[in-house]
Amino acid sequence: MRTLRSRPTGIERTFGPDEIIVTKTDPRGVITYANDVFLRISALTEEEALGQPHNLIRHPDMPRAVFKLLWDTLGRREEIFAYVLNLALDGAHYWVFAHVTPSFDAAGRLVGYHSNRRRPDPGAVRAVKQVYDRILHTEKGHPTTRSAVDAGWRQLEEELGPRTYDEFVWSITNRTTR
Amino acid sequence: MNEVLSAITAVCRRAAAGDLEARLPTIGDDATAVECRNALNDLLDISDAFVREAGAASAAAAQGRFHRRILTPGMRGAYRSAAEQISASINEMSRSSERLAEATQARLALADELEHAVLRVSEQVATAATEMGASANGLADFARSAVTDAERGLGTVQSLRIAADQILTAVDLINQVAKQTRLLALNATIEAARAGEAGLGFSVVAGEVKSLADETSASSGEIMGQVNRVQQVAADAVAVLEAVTESIREMSGLTNGIAAAVDGGDELDGLSQLAEVLRSEVSRFVATARQT
Repeated sequence: MRTLRSRPTGIERTFGPDEIIVTKTDPRGVITYANDVFLRISALTEEEALGQPHNLIRHPDMPRAVFKLLWDTLGRREEIFAYVLNLALDGAHYWVFAHVTPSFDAAGRLVGYHSNRRRPDPGAVRAVKQVYDRILHTEKGHPTTRSAVDAGWRQLEEELGPRTYDEFVWSITNRTTR
Repeated sequence: MNEVLSAITAVCRRAAAGDLEARLPTIGDDATAVECRNALNDLLDISDAFVREAGAASAAAAQGRFHRRILTPGMRGAYRSAAEQISASINEMSRSSERLAEATQARLALADELEHAVLRVSEQVATAATEMGASANGLADFARSAVTDAERGLGTVQSLRIAADQILTAVDLINQVAKQTRLLALNATIEAARAGEAGLGFSVVAGEVKSLADETSASSGEIMGQVNRVQQVAADAVAVLEAVTESIREMSGLTNGIAAAVDGGDELDGLSQLAEVLRSEVSRFVATARQT
């Protein structure tokens, strides 16, 4: 079995405008389902993906503060839209416009999370990357994960100003995909 | 083969029952089996995505989060047209909401304008009322002192008439004296003629006395004519003063009416109170207009 961590090669990968990358996880974030588009873009086999934590495809250039926001939002049983940079197993990277939602059973109990990812507009990615890079720079200046997340969070709030992250994301999305 | 069909049946039944968490696990490694599984899971993925999008986008619109659009990429055919329909509905909702916000804005602006206008008017009315009240009080004071002055004038003219009457009495007395003096002078002249040569000088004196009495009589007549004219003029003055006094009394009544209207009185609100009532009523109205 291959080692499931790789170094970024700097090669960018994209997918079709009408393709959706789909994964499902259990409530702890362990992958329970991955569609063929996910496996192809992430350069993973189904056996490699299933049972792994979702941060399997975490790219080191993603600010930790964004993932904190993602889990905080899902913790409130709310949906979240986020621009995310992912890392394929072969070191290639790909940007997605992710829509993550909690899944509930008929009794309203949380059974896991569902993520639909679409191909983002390159202009939107450029705008988001500038903000992420500044947050990442702030986080890198901190020795511990804890203090890095805290500093990154403050930087994120500063970047957003009076807007929520949701409003920020949609202002970029509605501006670029029309 | 039966196991595979059972697995597919189970997934389809779950999906049909609305459990979109169901996905088909691997059913074999050959190309047809892989393709069949991917096709079924694609169908489930797209249905799952559509249901999540449609539900969440509508919910967001209902909460007024119109920036959250429904995503059409990845949706094809009927899924896409339904998504576009939802998108159009949300846009319409967003526009309605904007129009509502504009209308609310306009209503608030109107309320502000009304409040300003009424405030300005009521302030001006209050100021005018204060000034009118002061003027009315001043006029009333003036009327009172004019009436007093006119009454004093009447008294003066009255004294003048009394003095004139007394003068007439005195002149009458002088006339009587003059008459008797003339009679005495006549008697003296007759007595002087009877005395002959010796009474000649006395006759001259008697003539002088008679002419003095005549002059006195003539002067008295002149004085009486003048005093009569004075009395005539005094009567005219009394009539004028009485008319003036009556007019001023009427004016005083009108002024009191104005003062009552301005300051208020028995069971009546004055202008200032009315302006205050108007202001507070409009404030209440405007506050209600702002809330709803």
